[in-house]
Amino acid sequence: MTTRRLQQLHPPITGAVDPLTQTELEVDISRSGHWEGRVLLDDGRTVPFLAIRDRQQVHVWIGGEYYLFGLAVPARRTRGPGQWASDDIVCPVPGVVISVRVAENDVVEAGQDLVIIESMKTEQIVRSPRHGTVQRVSVQEGDRVDRGMRLVVLHPLTEESGPSAPRDAD
Amino acid sequence: MFSKVLVANRGEIAVRVLQTLQAMGINTVAINADPDADAPHVSLADEAHALGGSSADETYLDGQKIIELALRCGAEAVHPGYGFLAENPGFSRACAEAGLVFIGPSPKTIELLGDKIRSKETAFRAGVTVVPSSPLIVPGDSQAEALLSEIGLPLLVKAAAGGGGRGMRIVERPEDLEQALESASREAVSSFGDGRVFLERYIPAARHVEFQVLADSTGNTVHLLERECSVQRRYQKVIEETPSPALDSDLREAMGASAVAMAKSAGYTNAGTVEFLVDAQTREFYFLEMNARIQVEHPITEETLKLDMVEWQVRIAAGEPLTLSQDDIRSTGHAIECRIYAEDPFSNFAPDTGRLLAWRPPSRMGIRLDSGVAEGLEISAYFDSMLAKLVAWGPDRRSAIGRMSRALESFPVAGVTTNIPFLIRSIAHPNFISGDYDTGFIAKHPELTVAPASTPLSAAAAAIAERFWESNGNTTARRSDDASPDRPGPWRGLPKAIFP
Repeated sequence: MTTRRLQQLHPPITGAVDPLTQTELEVDISRSGHWEGRVLLDDGRTVPFLAIRDRQQVHVWIGGEYYLFGLAVPARRTRGPGQWASDDIVCPVPGVVISVRVAENDVVEAGQDLVIIESMKTEQIVRSPRHGTVQRVSVQEGDRVDRGMRLVVLHPLTEESGPSAPRDAD
Repeated sequence: MFSKVLVANRGEIAVRVLQTLQAMGINTVAINADPDADAPHVSLADEAHALGGSSADETYLDGQKIIELALRCGAEAVHPGYGFLAENPGFSRACAEAGLVFIGPSPKTIELLGDKIRSKETAFRAGVTVVPSSPLIVPGDSQAEALLSEIGLPLLVKAAAGGGGRGMRIVERPEDLEQALESASREAVSSFGDGRVFLERYIPAARHVEFQVLADSTGNTVHLLERECSVQRRYQKVIEETPSPALDSDLREAMGASAVAMAKSAGYTNAGTVEFLVDAQTREFYFLEMNARIQVEHPITEETLKLDMVEWQVRIAAGEPLTLSQDDIRSTGHAIECRIYAEDPFSNFAPDTGRLLAWRPPSRMGIRLDSGVAEGLEISAYFDSMLAKLVAWGPDRRSAIGRMSRALESFPVAGVTTNIPFLIRSIAHPNFISGDYDTGFIAKHPELTVAPASTPLSAAAAAIAERFWESNGNTTARRSDDASPDRPGPWRGLPKAIFP
């Protein structure tokens, strides 16, 4: 087992991806889409785990932590210069749009409020990750929104016309 | 005693109240919003009624609908739990007018304590020191600037009708005031239907310590010792413990006496909580507010005092006298509560929703779980993100921490992201273990909220996932699941699966 078929979706990976290790598993309960057992960790501890498949995702609970895996995406198609496919500002939480703070063609600074979402009775402010121009506003007040849904399309303001660095996944 | 009581709430507190009512031989009525049709409080109650609608406004906040239902099904009293209508004087008054007993203090007391300004005046008259604060203002108020210089920076913008950290913003620079006022006010309207706010001096490095009180209708008032609630995120409590590591017996006695004086001065009946800020260096304590409801963290008091707070609420509301005297209040051992929220501690505690694919509470010595959810339940974005409260009791603080730690590590949850990994790290943190922490605990220790790059657990998780997928990875047989219309699931914004 050397190649990864799955990639970790949660928690977000901050550093390099772990190389896959040979791990000693003891599966006590195995039924369709469900494993329960114990695993020997690299540090010598043995901890319980639970793996559940839900559609094309694998949920792993292990010793108090929770991981979500999905199918690894093959290397993405190259994008032509001048195409800014990663300019979407997406919704971080499910909820309701309570305020849209920008309009099309507004120039925004990094950190400026774009959209305010209420989720689970708490306000979540979506801020601009960078300096740019608002190309499109995709939501209005009162809209129900889901995680990952596009809120705003932001066109980066750059002096040069080169393409932005491609991202691993949209 | 009542023969039938309606519980006007949802989630873990509805379950908690229903359990005590049933143990007292009282018939129970639950209510629910549409997304809660399968929730545990609905199946637990002797009868349950759908209020129709999904939002809180249409359901748990619709006092008239609830009162009509209570009358129709013959309930004699209403237990409001916490949040929703618990501290709404209009609702408690409407209950009384409809001939229903509201299990809580009188409308007049709720009104007094709900007004943060008048409650501070009451504390002041009772001889309790208060944190300097401004009168009520609204966003755009021309006096705001002047009040800001009077109070000084940093300051807090707080909702007049506040609670649970809603409608609260910290302001460190004068230019941020107006936006904080707007944002706090907007959140306060959405949470409490009242957008008035005020400014209060912010005391950094303070500890948040509260005292539980019980008072009967003849004025007998006792305090049930303290709860230390300094581990907070977004001004909302996450971990509570009793006794507080910050109090010695002199300070405890002085604060307890202040709490009782405050309750008496407010004409308080039933269970309530007096919140204080304690400056750990100077050992000065300031009155913050008094909460006219059962508190989320009441279980740790129950575990160390071996009593049932909800039972006392019901008895007092039914007119029974408080038979506890202050000398009867003796604490045994140590208790800690961890609130389990559906949120991602590694993404600034953003709330999460989805189906609880696994929810397996541990059953261990000294462990109690107050839960409002069950495996298979859909966690919606309509309501608060708190799923449950895990409580550990031990003969001493060290054993309570040890039991909590083991329980958190043996609590499988999947399908919805929770703060459990954060809780595990927090109670293992040297500053938590030494008891040397304040309300800045989370901000001072950013490592608690950053996902580790690679650990033995993450490596093993990846290995398990691959092996599991391989053994189970008959993708063609499972493809139909994707198209199944009855399982839309939350859109996690993930890349679409690609099959060879």
